[in-house]
Amino acid sequence: MAEADSMNAAAPAALSDAQAGQTVLRLNDIELGFGGVKAINKVSFEVRKGEILAIIGPNGAGKSSMLNVINGFYKPQKGSIEFRGETRRAMDPNHAAKHGIARTFQNIALFKGMSTLDNLMTGRLLKMKRNIFWQALYWGPAQKEELEHREAVEKIIDFLEIQAIRRTPVGKLPYGLQKRVELGRALAMEPDILLLDEPMAGMNVEEKEDMCRFVLEVNQEFGTTIVLIEHDMGVVMDISDRVVVLDYGVKIADGTPDQVRANQRVIDAYLGVSH
Amino acid sequence: MFFSWPFFFEVLIGGLLAGVMYSLVALGFVLIFKASGVFNFAQGGMVLFAALTLVGLIELGVPAALAILLAMAAMVVLAYVVEKAVLRPLVNQPPIILFMATIGITFFIDGFGQTLWGSDVHTLDLGIPNTPLFFGDILVNSFDLVAAAVAGILVTVLAIFFQKTRIGRALRAVADDHQAAMSVGIPLRVIWVIVWSVAGLVALVAGIMWGSKLGVQFSLALIALKALPVLILGGFTSIPGAIIGGLMIGAGEKLAEVFIGPFLAGAIEDWFAYMLAMVVLLFRPQGLFGEKIIERV
Repeated sequence: MAEADSMNAAAPAALSDAQAGQTVLRLNDIELGFGGVKAINKVSFEVRKGEILAIIGPNGAGKSSMLNVINGFYKPQKGSIEFRGETRRAMDPNHAAKHGIARTFQNIALFKGMSTLDNLMTGRLLKMKRNIFWQALYWGPAQKEELEHREAVEKIIDFLEIQAIRRTPVGKLPYGLQKRVELGRALAMEPDILLLDEPMAGMNVEEKEDMCRFVLEVNQEFGTTIVLIEHDMGVVMDISDRVVVLDYGVKIADGTPDQVRANQRVIDAYLGVSH
Repeated sequence: MFFSWPFFFEVLIGGLLAGVMYSLVALGFVLIFKASGVFNFAQGGMVLFAALTLVGLIELGVPAALAILLAMAAMVVLAYVVEKAVLRPLVNQPPIILFMATIGITFFIDGFGQTLWGSDVHTLDLGIPNTPLFFGDILVNSFDLVAAAVAGILVTVLAIFFQKTRIGRALRAVADDHQAAMSVGIPLRVIWVIVWSVAGLVALVAGIMWGSKLGVQFSLALIALKALPVLILGGFTSIPGAIIGGLMIGAGEKLAEVFIGPFLAGAIEDWFAYMLAMVVLLFRPQGLFGEKIIERV
């Protein structure tokens, strides 16, 4: 197994003004098609350090495809991605994970047979450094390391208020809690950029409020950059710093929530327009 | 048929030790199933291929120890090739597709092994003692004791590897969800090569033990069929389950043959294991030790 790269162990607590607003990820003229269908058509936008960026748009606008391009599940046919000073044609999921991009999925993708704790521990895999032989023996340094990571995971469990379900196989948990565990697994990676695909879909008001609170706290306390897809416009306008609007795979707006709200093309896309 | 306790124990112990041999084959299945959710139909073929390679090398005059190392290397290469040629193009496909692919792999390595090394029956003699030992009144074969010891060591190592290490956790994660595993940075390809290699090494061990007993020949590929009831009994996802399942099948079929057989006109050893498996399927489809099947609707 490949050795994990050394990564900044502690997330930066607060960003200096100089750092905030720097571009950390830039997508240039991304084009992605499946057979004859163009899912994404020449979309460019940037993600700035420490912000909460929302990607919105009607169903089928290419939002999830965009996230899949960012973390490397999809390889765009055209365009390039600038990340950490490197310009690439496409990302690779492993490279993305190693360099601090974590994500959740629209349809929860957890390790169903494993406990909450084990699910979160998988998020630490890349941070564990002892090699395969120590791991196979599981004593000495490897065991100590396991305990250190366990501690980090326990902090996340406290943060997300899921202490009670620590040992429960996640397949048994209700939907809202599964979403929370999935967020926990992404947080366990101590990401610089967190991609959330509809983190509040299918939740009741109370669960949504909790999830909003977690997202905001992660962003403020750890300085984590967040890119999220969400359909609840109230939530999007409340918590995001910037909004990118996609429609039929094309970017139709990009700006602050207020700018986007006032944009005629966005209103047309959402409410329909008579031609 | 009269009943006496020493005789009962002799049959029981003989059965348990024969069961260990089944467990050795079942283990390879469990490994790959745990790590990729795929039932690897090719496991029997891998046993044959490993044993053929070993015996072929020994017949070429390679010293036994070196031949074992080379056979191990061959199994790792096979794992790498399988990953590259078969599994990689099929990432994220449903398990049934991967299962079908393993059937293809079976035909390939059955044929390839025999093309390379011939289809004659070879004898494999690594000097494992095969003498009857007496413990009181009970007769035990020393070969079976060696097999049991080998299986015991193998299982202990594998169980610790899977339950306690980060690689074990990564393997289980890959088994549950490919995409999620990739998103936390688990290198799917490396994991698959590791797990097929380990399954290949287990196949080599099984091939050595079975090959020493029966001779190395095509029928080794068919002992996989005997591993099926073991898996159903023990659960596809449990390493200890594979062992206990093997012991139960081994002991069960020998005891049934000796003590129930006469009432049913004999020869029940051949089908007893399958019937036992069917009963287990009715009441506990995940096997006695398998991970519970969780389904939320």
